[in-house]
Amino acid sequence: MLHILQAIAHRSDAWVELRYHARRTKRIAVSSGRLEESSSVRLVGVGVRVLIAGVLGFSSTTDLSKQGIEQAVREAEDAARASAVAKRDKIKGLAAVAPVTGKFSVETSDPLDNHSLEEKLALVMRVDSQVRGTSKKIVSSTVAYAEIQDEKIIVTSDGAAAHVFDAKPEFRVLAVAQEGSDQTMGMDSAGVSGGFADLFAKRSPEEMADKAVALAVNQLGAEYAHGERATVVLDPGLVGVLSHEAIGHTVEADIVLSGAITNGKIGTRVASELVTMCDSGPSTHLPHAAGELLVDDEGVKTGNTVIIEHGVLRSYLHNRESAAHFGVEATGNARAFEYSDVPIIRMRNTYIEIGGSSKEEMIAGVKHGYYLEGLGGGGQADSNAEFMFGVREAHLIEDGKLGKLVRGVTISGNAFDVMKSVDAVGSDFSWDLGAGNCGKSQLAKVDAGGPHLRCVVTIGGRQE
Amino acid sequence: MTNQKLIGLCRQALDQTNKHGADAAEAYGESARTITVTIEKNDLQISRSHKETMIGIRAFKGKRIGFASTNDPQTLDETCADAVVLANASPADERNLLPEVEDIEYVDGIYDPHSETFTTKDAIEQAVKILDIARSIDSRLIVGNGEFSVHIGTRALANSNGILRSEQESLFFYFALATARDGERVSNMDYQFDATRNLSTIDVEPIVRRACENALGSLGAEPGDSFNGPIILSPNAVQGILAGLILFQTDAKNILRGMSRWKESVDTAVASPLITVVDDGRAKDGIATSSFDREGVGHARLELIKDGRLMSFMHNTYTAAAMKTKNTAHAAGPARSLPRIGPTNFEIVPGSTTKDALISEMKKGVLVTRFSGRADPISGDFSGVAKGAYLIENGRVTRPVKGTLVAGNAFEALKKLSGVSREQERVFNFTLPYLRLEGISVTAG
Repeated sequence: MLHILQAIAHRSDAWVELRYHARRTKRIAVSSGRLEESSSVRLVGVGVRVLIAGVLGFSSTTDLSKQGIEQAVREAEDAARASAVAKRDKIKGLAAVAPVTGKFSVETSDPLDNHSLEEKLALVMRVDSQVRGTSKKIVSSTVAYAEIQDEKIIVTSDGAAAHVFDAKPEFRVLAVAQEGSDQTMGMDSAGVSGGFADLFAKRSPEEMADKAVALAVNQLGAEYAHGERATVVLDPGLVGVLSHEAIGHTVEADIVLSGAITNGKIGTRVASELVTMCDSGPSTHLPHAAGELLVDDEGVKTGNTVIIEHGVLRSYLHNRESAAHFGVEATGNARAFEYSDVPIIRMRNTYIEIGGSSKEEMIAGVKHGYYLEGLGGGGQADSNAEFMFGVREAHLIEDGKLGKLVRGVTISGNAFDVMKSVDAVGSDFSWDLGAGNCGKSQLAKVDAGGPHLRCVVTIGGRQE
Repeated sequence: MTNQKLIGLCRQALDQTNKHGADAAEAYGESARTITVTIEKNDLQISRSHKETMIGIRAFKGKRIGFASTNDPQTLDETCADAVVLANASPADERNLLPEVEDIEYVDGIYDPHSETFTTKDAIEQAVKILDIARSIDSRLIVGNGEFSVHIGTRALANSNGILRSEQESLFFYFALATARDGERVSNMDYQFDATRNLSTIDVEPIVRRACENALGSLGAEPGDSFNGPIILSPNAVQGILAGLILFQTDAKNILRGMSRWKESVDTAVASPLITVVDDGRAKDGIATSSFDREGVGHARLELIKDGRLMSFMHNTYTAAAMKTKNTAHAAGPARSLPRIGPTNFEIVPGSTTKDALISEMKKGVLVTRFSGRADPISGDFSGVAKGAYLIENGRVTRPVKGTLVAGNAFEALKKLSGVSREQERVFNFTLPYLRLEGISVTAG
């Protein structure tokens, strides 16, 4: 396939990018003792992108013959030419990159295929049974295992020829508890780039089940939080959510150019000087981050991009087009989820750099506030960095001590205001957003995390 | 791919699955051609075309089931074998059944043969029109995102009980996401969408105008007030806060999972008598209209809630067998995944009052055009930011407000709801009115 793609790419007059992508996914889901899904998907095709007269065109095909791919190239060229008449802002060029060639593979000592379907199924059934067996208050359980295995060959007419192998498994546990008419939910999940053992390196499946059950049961009868502005200590999960969801998207160069709040702010102070934030293709600090990307889908080798350095905005996240526009180097953030997706600017593993405080010190320094852990029930953020997230688990902090659990907590605010309010950054580190996908017109496997962090947010609760 | 060719592929998949040892099987195929033109930051972004045929196979070994799918006809045989391997490894479940043959009536109007002539160039023209209309309204507007796409497809299904169906469809789909920027002031981002089956009824103008006017209207928003009282939700916000809850609670799978609070609520009041909800897979002009569901069962109109009383859940073959009731033909999802349960054309039936009349009755409240936050379908708790929100004072909309948080419980809100508008808007496959909720916690940002 590599040679066919190279022959086609080098024959074209235009700039051409050809991406062969073969994907196998498997999913097993069990709910309250019954198997809901045991499935596998095969997806294969070639995505073709061309640049003609400053305009991109894209086409994809499942016909993997030379003729089939050539036909897709012609369709992409036709699409580009037809757009050229109407597109106002032509692409001046693509940032030059060193051609990437060779094989790239996610590291693991325990490949997913070493574990049989039966083993994975038995694990999911067993953990589901454990969830319901732990407490009589649990009325429903769902446990799911999913894996993605990818092979990609990325060839461009300017020299890239990368052969990439990737594997990303994930595991999720959901428990629903009930008492009277009060129902609550608890969840835990893990997702990595790597193998089966890597998925459970941080917490065993059994520990994840216990955590989900405890979260659901403990919330029964808990009081709701009151709305207020408060000092909070965020766990690495929420630090990751804030970094990825509320700030990360506003520094994706395409979003910047669409008028995000970060437009024109390079070199200015946007956060407390304690805050350094990065987006890394390889896994930094700890291995197996779920967003690991060694070569991006434009054939650019990835590195670690420093977005905010000691509070000052240093870089956006780029593909080759936006890098050329801003006159900087491509950062390797062009990603396509499936063969039929156009590569767009996406994050990889987004995190806050490690600081010097312990979690205990941070909590001890709060007179009245909250200790908040994990994303619960979703949320949203926009290009102004205004965000609102549900919190999975919230405890009051009174006079420097952890207090009672409160439920229904959301946090909101402007992410840059929150980052300016940071007065302590933890000395720990954890990846925590590996399960699930980020959505931006198409999906992407990403990760995010960091240390604990103390800041000020608006707590959403109830107005009596 | 033609109907006949896709049916042929499905039949071939059945034969091969049986050959690999299945007792029974179902093959569902989708073949589609799409053209998509995307808009970014007031300019065309990229045009793309895509063709794909996907086959999803459910293999049955007794009451054990496995599912596999492929988009590569070359691997059809391996995929059929995969489905059987997965079935062999699975535990048996007596509810795993395939539907029996029943006559269905095919719906009209979901396929326009003229759509076949629609080209990439035509799609680009429509996208340019979206940009031109926005430019003509106000120079402060930015169409940050938009799209015009056409989908022309065929679906087919064959199962071992003898069901054999296929139909063609066409869909033109377009949206615009507009923001207004005036110096440092940035408006709320407004999203509007529409779709049509017919080439001759494509009209992007109304959605672009609505998105642009809403964006401009929210410029200059200032923080509002905190109170506990009534709010009016736009159809878009109704979808985020209430429609999701109703769908979750009426999904029979969630009854079986023990996750629905409405398990014992059929024929009891779950909402205000003002609320009637229907789901109709055969609705005229519905963007989710089709003749049969993901298992080949004929679609029909289903009343979920009538005058506030819960009437039915949404079932597929599995849940209908488990609950010993009639299948409502709500098997849903694409060929690449197992049939799940989902709505078709979901509608909250309009009331008799105008939206303006609902507002005029309010002393103090907030109009929420978009909800950004969390709405937990299990506890019913919702809490989030009211985007594109307006303060209502003494029966009038007085000014845009920003950062306002709204919170409450959707179960309670449904029951205490005090108004349903005569006007409806389409939010994807949801057709919804404006709703007035009472006793909602509103916190100034």
